[in-house]
Amino acid sequence: MSDFHQTGIITTLHQLGKSSLDRLEAELYSFSRNRPVALVLPALYSEFEGPAMPGIVQELAKVKYLNEVVLVLDKASEKEFQRVREFMSPIPTEVKIVHNDGKRVSEIYQTFARHGFDVGERGKGRSVWLAYGYVLARRRSDVIALHDCDILTYSRELLARLCYPVVNPNLDYAFCKGYYSRVSDKFNGRVTRLLVTPLVRAIQQLIGPHEFLSFLDSFRYPLAGEFCMITDMARVNRIPWDWGLEVGSLAEVHRNFSPRRICQVDIAANYDHKHQVLSADDASKGLMKMTVDICKSIFRTLASEGVVFSDGLFKSLLVSYLRQAEDTILKYEADAAINGFKFDRHDEAKAVEAFTKAIGMATQSFMENPMATPLIPNWNRVTSAIPDIFEMLQIAVDADNQ
Amino acid sequence: MSSVILRAEVQGQIEKIAQADIVVGIPSFNNAGTIGHVVRAVQAGLGKYFPSARAVIVNSDGGSTDNTMETVRNTSIEDFSAILLHHRVEPISKISFPYSGIPGKGSAFRAIFQIAQALDAKACVVVDSDLRSITPEWVELLVKPVLEGGFDYVAPLYHRHKFDGTITNSIVYPLTRALYGKRVRQPIGGDFGFSGRLAQFYLSKDVWESDVARFGIDIWMTTTAIANGFRVAQSFLGAKIHDAKDPGTDLSSMLYQVVSATFDLMEGYADAWRPVRGSEDVPSFGFEYTVGLEQVNVNTGRMLHLFREGIRSLHEMWRDILGAGDFGEVERLGTLRDEDFVFPLSLWTRIVYDYAIAFHRHNFAREHLIKSLVPLYLAKTAAFIIAARNMDASEAEAEIERLCMEFESSKDYLVTSWK
Amino acid sequence: MMDFLNLIFDPLREVFLKFKSFLPNLLAMLVIMLLGIIMARIIRVLLVKFLTAISFDSWCDRMGFTTLMRKGDLWGKPAVTLGAIVYWLLIMITLMVGLSALQIVAVDNLVAQFFSYMPRVFSAALILIIGYVLAGFISRGVLIAAVNSGYHYAKLLAEAIRALLILLILAMTMEQLQIAPNIVLAAFSIIFGGIVVALSISFGVGGIDAAKRMIERDSGENRASKSSGDIDHI
Repeated sequence: MSDFHQTGIITTLHQLGKSSLDRLEAELYSFSRNRPVALVLPALYSEFEGPAMPGIVQELAKVKYLNEVVLVLDKASEKEFQRVREFMSPIPTEVKIVHNDGKRVSEIYQTFARHGFDVGERGKGRSVWLAYGYVLARRRSDVIALHDCDILTYSRELLARLCYPVVNPNLDYAFCKGYYSRVSDKFNGRVTRLLVTPLVRAIQQLIGPHEFLSFLDSFRYPLAGEFCMITDMARVNRIPWDWGLEVGSLAEVHRNFSPRRICQVDIAANYDHKHQVLSADDASKGLMKMTVDICKSIFRTLASEGVVFSDGLFKSLLVSYLRQAEDTILKYEADAAINGFKFDRHDEAKAVEAFTKAIGMATQSFMENPMATPLIPNWNRVTSAIPDIFEMLQIAVDADNQ
Repeated sequence: MSSVILRAEVQGQIEKIAQADIVVGIPSFNNAGTIGHVVRAVQAGLGKYFPSARAVIVNSDGGSTDNTMETVRNTSIEDFSAILLHHRVEPISKISFPYSGIPGKGSAFRAIFQIAQALDAKACVVVDSDLRSITPEWVELLVKPVLEGGFDYVAPLYHRHKFDGTITNSIVYPLTRALYGKRVRQPIGGDFGFSGRLAQFYLSKDVWESDVARFGIDIWMTTTAIANGFRVAQSFLGAKIHDAKDPGTDLSSMLYQVVSATFDLMEGYADAWRPVRGSEDVPSFGFEYTVGLEQVNVNTGRMLHLFREGIRSLHEMWRDILGAGDFGEVERLGTLRDEDFVFPLSLWTRIVYDYAIAFHRHNFAREHLIKSLVPLYLAKTAAFIIAARNMDASEAEAEIERLCMEFESSKDYLVTSWK
Repeated sequence: MMDFLNLIFDPLREVFLKFKSFLPNLLAMLVIMLLGIIMARIIRVLLVKFLTAISFDSWCDRMGFTTLMRKGDLWGKPAVTLGAIVYWLLIMITLMVGLSALQIVAVDNLVAQFFSYMPRVFSAALILIIGYVLAGFISRGVLIAAVNSGYHYAKLLAEAIRALLILLILAMTMEQLQIAPNIVLAAFSIIFGGIVVALSISFGVGGIDAAKRMIERDSGENRASKSSGDIDHI
């Protein structure tokens, strides 16, 4: 049971008491006739062999209000693609699988390249972007919901709560991000707890109040991969293809929509997914690569909003962050104590060390090349350059799914 | 395999009778107290409504030790004129014998089918031997649709207390109706009429060494008739009052027998039920009337207590079977107060379908699986009793109808998840 | 002078001769080991393929082996893990066979001991696996039966039965492996007996009131349910 406090400049929708999923779904079902919902699922083939996917499919098989499901499948052979189709068949909603490694979709990627579009490297960002394109091309849904495929504690309540604020026409939210407490018998979600929030607050400390920073700080779980939005947003927003996906997307949301139309919703009392390993040395691997990308994404966004980053500022930032992070560790230590959680202070301090290093790497890389942007162009721009791209994409995916 | 299992003396009797139009089967096991009434009612019915038909009463006994068979042999109506206007033309023969094979109602029925086949019967009837409310009209109502209406299978329609028959009302009826698309209200009624053709078809099925022989013959007969396209009707028989069940058979084994038999049939007839959507009425015979309801107080508190214990102890298993979303809903129900307890129909529907899917996937030992349904079933029953407390019979029936519609509209989930 | 040289060379020659006679053995060992490793690899690949084909992994999920592995911080797929176990077993056998090819008395004894111990290892593993499945099955049956009869401590009872069965199985396994059989037997008797005594004492002493309450409530309920009339479920 959570509190009902509203923080920050966006709306927070709490989970208070235990509400009826049946009621929520019934309402969604009636709203969805006027506002059809597409669910986008970015997935790797390996996730279909993991423990989470069977549970997700079992739950989605009971969801009736969805209009379409678009699964972007990465790292799969033709045979594996067929296996995934069979695997998804319990879902009553029409399921389209975008086979990223298939020959038709590869051809689409080459079309982008021919017209000078850099859609970035393989990854969740690029997959999600292509899925948006397909949903836009089909023009059958007004709302797009998205979540990962590695959620071990998946319940269809998560999806219902995620969709509700955007699908309900009386609420008029354009974007809704999920949040949840990442606890088991200890605090998980280190990157959010010990990197993003302290970093954002440290920058605020140095440069004073800034609207994007307070926007970012309003989110209880800025790195959550679950969100829901109106399809118009998918048309105008640019998506980073690197690990800065979540933060970069929030930056685009902030740029294009008023905070009044943005909300966050408590989607799960309990959440667990595959954990990343922290490697303090290698910037190209796992969590470290992720943290560097996230920091760069924040710097880039701020720079584009007129914040001047200097060598001196970055130096102060490292110190300021370290102090913020250490304070945060103390807060969570107390929080762990009262809740009877395990709390390894040394481990947390090591993580902060690694994050400090990541911020250093990010600042260096930013100073060297401030223009380097991993943003994939938005679909409006792509369609104006390649007018037939939607048709081509639709033909490619539909032919794969024949 | 045909009639080798019938004893020589029975064979002799059959040869003597040679041919019959109607065979009435009465399976029995220690029913000396009630079977006399049943036999008399059947004799009267045959005499009154089918005076010129050759009829045989077959008592297939499971080794009773209380003179059940003697009671059958010695029972006859001395003075037909009290109930009959005309004297009966044809005599009624009686055969009473212990059946062989696996002990159970199914084996008893098999012997009855075999005799029907040997006598080339046109119509057969089976009635329970513990019935107190059987009247001569039952014979007519179960036989006429077969002899004169061209139907192959006549299921019973009873008037029962709104709180009775809850396994039928909340699982077996909605499920069979949604699966096979025929609204047979009492698929496990126990009293049926069927054609000789269907009896022969039953005999041709290779199930007599399986669980069908022990229990589950009722749902097997109904489902086999519907799924194989036989013409099905139902007749309103009035009230069903029978001896109290053996207290030794507890609820969980009762539920196991009925539900596993129903689920088991889903395996064999998957191709028959997968394409069916919606349902249609089957022709009904008999004059429907309502009977007054006496007030029954049921201890719903204890049922809900068991349900909450189930949430505490079986949560791992239930989460596995139902999935996180619906288990969350079940957990939520556990927090409701007794007097506001409701069980959403859609949730119950998905639970039954989820259990059917888990049964199909062999995720658990079948007995464990179905017995773990007991606390959920009790919660559903308690919710129904609370909701229907002040309802009259037709309102309670409308509630069951709503559940059936929910089963029908959610059937896609079952079909797509059945792999 | 020659004598002196002989004194030096004789041992050397002897060593050389011994080595010469030993060399074929060594070669044989190397060949056996090489072939063994190749065979083991092939068998592993085939085994994993076969296990995947019969969906061994999902069987393990159902039987709770996967959970057991995860509890032990093993995150591989069950089929692959079993493949690895069989692989290393084969490697060990190869090593033993290879060593015996050296025909050194001490090593031979070791090898003989190893092979005479193997059947015990197999039967112990079998007892462990079957016992684990059986314990899970029995405790689930107890759990469901206890819940359905409204027993408040159903979960506790089922877990206790499961723990006792696991203890019994572990003792059987140890006995099979002949690891300090006397001590295992004694320890088992003490623990098992101790648990039973503890349970009976705690039930007897601590449970008097609870038992009284239970009986009173049960009989009260029975009376209540008798008077309220039961419904007919079928």
